[in-house]
Amino acid sequence: MSAELLALQDVHAYYGNIRALKGVSLTVGRGEIVTLIGGNGAGKTTTLRTVIGLVRALRGTVTFDGRRIDRVATHRIARLGIAQSPEGRRIFAPMTVLENLELGAFARTDREAIPQDLERVLALFPRLRDRLAQKGGTLSGGEQQMLAMGRALMAKPDMLLLDEPSMGLSPILVETIFDIIRNINQLGTTILLVEQNARMALRVAHRGYVIQTGRIVLQDAASALLRSDVVRKAYLGEK
Amino acid sequence: MSDSRSVRVIPAALLVTALLGYPFLDRWLQAQTVHAVTDAMIYVLLALGLNIVVGYAGMLDLGYAAFFAIGAYTMGLLNSPVLGSPLYGHVWSFWVVIWIAAAVSAGLGVVIGAPTLRVRGDYLAIITLAFGEIIPVAIRNMGDITIDVAGWKPVERLNLTGGENGVNPVGRPHLPFVNFDTDFIPWYFLILVIGALSLWAMNRMRDSRLGRAWMAIREDETAADCSGVNPVKTKLLAFALGASFSGFAGSFYAAKLQAITPGAFEFNVSIMLLCMVVLGGMGSLKGVILGGMLITLFDRILLSQMTFFIRWVGRSLGIGVLASVDLTLWRWFFFGLGLVIIMLIRPEGLMGRRVRPPAADVDEGEEALALVAAPPRPRAEALPAWLREATDPGRRPSGGPSVLEVRGLTRSFGGLVAVSDVELVIPAGGIIGLIGPNGAGKTTFFNLVTGLLRPDRGEIRLDGASLVGLRPHAIVGRGIARTFQSIRLFQNMSVLDNVLVGEHCRLHASVAGAVFRPPAVMAEEVRARGRAADLLAFVGLDAKAAEMAKNLAYGDQRRLEIARALATEPRLLLLDEPTAGMNPRETDTLTELIGLLRRELGLAVLLIEHHMEVVMGISDRITVLDYGTRIAEGTPAEIRQNAQVIEAYLGKGYEQELVAT
Repeated sequence: MSAELLALQDVHAYYGNIRALKGVSLTVGRGEIVTLIGGNGAGKTTTLRTVIGLVRALRGTVTFDGRRIDRVATHRIARLGIAQSPEGRRIFAPMTVLENLELGAFARTDREAIPQDLERVLALFPRLRDRLAQKGGTLSGGEQQMLAMGRALMAKPDMLLLDEPSMGLSPILVETIFDIIRNINQLGTTILLVEQNARMALRVAHRGYVIQTGRIVLQDAASALLRSDVVRKAYLGEK
Repeated sequence: MSDSRSVRVIPAALLVTALLGYPFLDRWLQAQTVHAVTDAMIYVLLALGLNIVVGYAGMLDLGYAAFFAIGAYTMGLLNSPVLGSPLYGHVWSFWVVIWIAAAVSAGLGVVIGAPTLRVRGDYLAIITLAFGEIIPVAIRNMGDITIDVAGWKPVERLNLTGGENGVNPVGRPHLPFVNFDTDFIPWYFLILVIGALSLWAMNRMRDSRLGRAWMAIREDETAADCSGVNPVKTKLLAFALGASFSGFAGSFYAAKLQAITPGAFEFNVSIMLLCMVVLGGMGSLKGVILGGMLITLFDRILLSQMTFFIRWVGRSLGIGVLASVDLTLWRWFFFGLGLVIIMLIRPEGLMGRRVRPPAADVDEGEEALALVAAPPRPRAEALPAWLREATDPGRRPSGGPSVLEVRGLTRSFGGLVAVSDVELVIPAGGIIGLIGPNGAGKTTFFNLVTGLLRPDRGEIRLDGASLVGLRPHAIVGRGIARTFQSIRLFQNMSVLDNVLVGEHCRLHASVAGAVFRPPAVMAEEVRARGRAADLLAFVGLDAKAAEMAKNLAYGDQRRLEIARALATEPRLLLLDEPTAGMNPRETDTLTELIGLLRRELGLAVLLIEHHMEVVMGISDRITVLDYGTRIAEGTPAEIRQNAQVIEAYLGKGYEQELVAT
């Protein structure tokens, strides 16, 4: 057991035909919330996709819990304890909320612990409890976001990757979602959070990285980044 | 200039020489391939017609051979001495029938097209498949029709198609000094002329208002509808025109072969034609010609020659298996294998446009600059003058001070009321914000106003005229344009073409206009291109006009969608979360752009947005929806303090947020 749960070392990767990552190095310590902020096309989503093996690193290494995972198949990475809540809320629309959640636990071997975790997820997202029998596709945007996160948590991951959880959500739901992120973390899950909403992300995170054109250009404690001039200008929209 | 000209002219001249000289070379060599090549050209013409339906308009047609049959049987019916039909007294000339055949096929194209308009993809394919089966069966059974009503026989033994035996002979064309009876060379030149004219027409259609409409429908029917393209008309035209070319091909085929039987038009012919289009590259005229030639000549010449060769080898070496082999029996095996290989290696077809651009590196200098410096600000001077004129409020019919008036609007899905008794008024030149929790019915409201959904109850009036019941493209024509929450561009069309599709409803070129290009159409097209270029310059995309829309960066795609909406010359613009996924700088620029449009054009805007600094900063008034009902309406300042809105939408933390910024 090392203190670093996830480590990317000099990762280069293509996204489609674009060289999206040009030597990204970052670490996420056990129990931390780390956020990765940056503009459109800076390489945020590609970084997450590289971690779960949907994009292959051309160079560099990805280590999870001390073990190289940059050549491991995506479904095996999922079994190692990394779960992702994808951008755009990719839920299974024709299936019920309960079925969606159960699918999140698909790869688990400790079947007897699943009902207990379902309880835990429903406690985090009380709205989902009201909608267990409803089809996923009929949920509102915010509820779908919750379902995507809940499904990821059902895998009982050591680490949760969140891609733009606040996108397209109303202000009140954005607040709720970030409260939940904090809760999940306090219950022991390590989180790597990718966000456009840099202010909210930096408020909830312990540390942050700023990515620009495929390179990490800045890294610091989240509170320090919130005060940094570059971040305030480029990502917080302050004049 | 002269260099690039000669580069184009020389291969063309070589090609023409080769096409003209080929039959004589063939005769001199005694190769006797003209017959097969002529047949190949018939299939190429068919494949080109199918390409309009499948490649341009994106509708999978599995029964295209039916139109081929209809063309052939029209020729058979009207130009054969054997059919004892009471419908006509004499045999009609080939030169007349070939046009009738095209018209009959086009008409049936509309008939088969009409019921399939509401379906897409798999369902459309199944319907066309059924149509492809119906026609040969009908032909088989129409050789001997007797109507017997209790002994009264108004029709007795009417022979329309020759039944299973088919029609034999079919009359040949007649021209002075040309021998169509025993020589294949005149047939070759005739199909060459028909093919060349068809190709010329198709080429011009593709590069016209109509061609763009087809491709827009193929890329995204809903977005096309909401950009002013009438999907019903556009799809029917694709069916009719595609079918008319097979009418030519079919009638030519019947006359050349001198005999037709129902077996020549069955399902496998439809599939073979589809293979030609897919193999060559859907949507590419050159590709379809190549695919058609390859498949037919492989079938007609290569397989039999190979069979002779292998048998000869077998006999020479005394290998019995080889000596009796017949490769022509394996033709479908080779088609299938070839298609699998091509799809694995080049899924876009032999000549299809490469989907992927070459590997690229983000221009670091440019992007770094974009991050530090602000993106280009929209400038009022860059607004095209024609757009000012077109959207000038003084020139519009005025139904009072308001542009849009919505009253009592209600729509439910099943038991769920998505929009309930909503009222909303947009004054001329006003910017109205529409906010509310996720799932409150905002997008449903947009879909009702733009005609994608029909209201159960309520009124929607633009300048006093009701919009209820109008199709989306008609509403665009009246002056409402929209963008989508999840960007919906025509991905595989150029940036310029995306804007040109937006102009569709303001242009008038017809099919004939597109083909013959009279001065008025030419002028219109030049003006349209100029306007599209103006709009791209205005949103800062002029340098990317030739790129595929899907290769644009996210922020650029959002701006292109707005340019496309502006191209429809709207009076009211509906923007559905235009700044979603944008960074603060891009958001700023877009906010400025919206303000500019209102200030300079008097454009009214209805804005769904979750970025409160945008909505609060730019809206004159805000309407708040929750569970489909309007819970508040007022100025931004009023909304910000409305307890109900804070409870349902803004959240308690919102005020702290405001303080922080």
